[in-house]
Amino acid sequence: MSDTTVDRPLAEPPPVSRRQRLVDALDERLGLKALQYPIPAHANTLAYSLGGLSLISFVLMVATGIFLTQYYNPDPAAAHESVRHIITGVTLGGFVRGFHYWGSMAMIVLVGLHLLRVFASASFKRPREGNWVIGVALAALTAGLFFTGSVLKWDQESLEALEHNIEIGKLLGKFGFWFSDTFGGIPLLTRLYVVHISVLPALFTLAVAVHLLLVKRHGMAPSPFGDRAKDTGPEPTRPFTRHLAELGVLGLVLVGVLTLLAVLLPPAHGPAPIEGIEVTKPPWPLLWVYPVEDWIGVVGILWATLAIFAALLVVPLVDRSPELHPRRRLPVVIGAGVVVALIIGLIIYAAVRPVASHISM
Amino acid sequence: MTRTSRGPRLLSAIAVAWLTVAALATPAGAHEGEESVPALTQVQVAVAILRTQPEQVDLAADRINDATEAEDKDGVDIDRVEQAKSALEAGDMAKTELLLEQALGACPGQPVTNPAGVRAKLPQTPCPTPAHELALGRVPLHGAAKPTLLALGAVLTLGGLVLTWRIR
Repeated sequence: MSDTTVDRPLAEPPPVSRRQRLVDALDERLGLKALQYPIPAHANTLAYSLGGLSLISFVLMVATGIFLTQYYNPDPAAAHESVRHIITGVTLGGFVRGFHYWGSMAMIVLVGLHLLRVFASASFKRPREGNWVIGVALAALTAGLFFTGSVLKWDQESLEALEHNIEIGKLLGKFGFWFSDTFGGIPLLTRLYVVHISVLPALFTLAVAVHLLLVKRHGMAPSPFGDRAKDTGPEPTRPFTRHLAELGVLGLVLVGVLTLLAVLLPPAHGPAPIEGIEVTKPPWPLLWVYPVEDWIGVVGILWATLAIFAALLVVPLVDRSPELHPRRRLPVVIGAGVVVALIIGLIIYAAVRPVASHISM
Repeated sequence: MTRTSRGPRLLSAIAVAWLTVAALATPAGAHEGEESVPALTQVQVAVAILRTQPEQVDLAADRINDATEAEDKDGVDIDRVEQAKSALEAGDMAKTELLLEQALGACPGQPVTNPAGVRAKLPQTPCPTPAHELALGRVPLHGAAKPTLLALGAVLTLGGLVLTWRIR
């Protein structure tokens, strides 16, 4: 028995390249090939890459933020001067700050567009309602990161933003204790710095991890657009690693654009803050609440913000039909369109309005 | 009505409705006589103009004049506003802004360490000699860094776009 086995010529194993051996070795230890699971072809479009690009923006913010924390002083008496030092005295400090500034704008826009895409394609519908809620939480965390970041530069606009923050804290009564400047014996600016560089990024990372796990668990949501809407048979698939590669090159474009913006349009730094005056407007992503504050006071910021996020949270409860295409969900889509148009209109209106004092002196 | 014409009409209706709401909601003060606008508001707007549009000197001068003629002068040191008016006429923008800020009870040069309740009262002690830090503006990159980073940005953007096109 054994003799016959020995006499039979063995088939030559196919030659294995060095690169393949490296991939196999890494896969054996890290399970990389598990990422090659199939996803529908429509996932490899720009619209379905907005979430990934938002995550890339966040990673870029962390990287540039680590650089900035080496030179930023969160003491209220020294913060403004330290930002000036970053711009004028640190090698490439102005560029990194500019990259961080434009990156934050990109992140706000990308998260907003991702949210709109998920809404338009009804990707929040059963069984993905929970992931929609986590997505809304991620949008709220992004807004929080943007707001706290805009305060840290500690110019006149920052001081006025912080004063509004304190006023809103007062409106919250007992629940607003954290926003008091007397809480903890540490200045509020310093505590907001801690929130900006550790608390919010940690929560964001945790929420993103759950978000991605649920995307994997439920699979990529079907697209109601293009050929898929005509039900022309099963949609072709591609490995997820291909999606990662496409996301990587889109990330290169993002880095390139942010680099150009940081060089060509470096952000200005406002004057040192002075108490007792209110002469600035918030940055454009927060500008939509400015007219609301004009009309009904500081409480308007609180109610308008809560209303927007409450509306987002109830979307899966309001739009429960199995229909995916926007044309077959007209009432909900029109409602959302009106809200988006209102926000854009408020931003434009606030931009052309003269500054106004909202906090009584 | 055809399906294709519904979208633009709907958008037009939303735009008209929004503009109507915005127009109706404009604060009444914007349409009233300048004397009825409090001096406090006029001085704040003047400071804002000097800080954000320093080339609009005439606009700032109008606001300062209106502040001195306002019926409601509460919370404003009008003597300081008069001094600011003279400083502006003399072309000293920094002194004008400083005097206007002091007219509102602000303390330029004093580090802000506790912003809570700052608007509750005017400063009890004289303001320190102001080391008034004005806005830094846009600080361009110097030396080889600028062309290097511009080239890097252009390569990444164009290279990424080409790769995106080729990989699809």
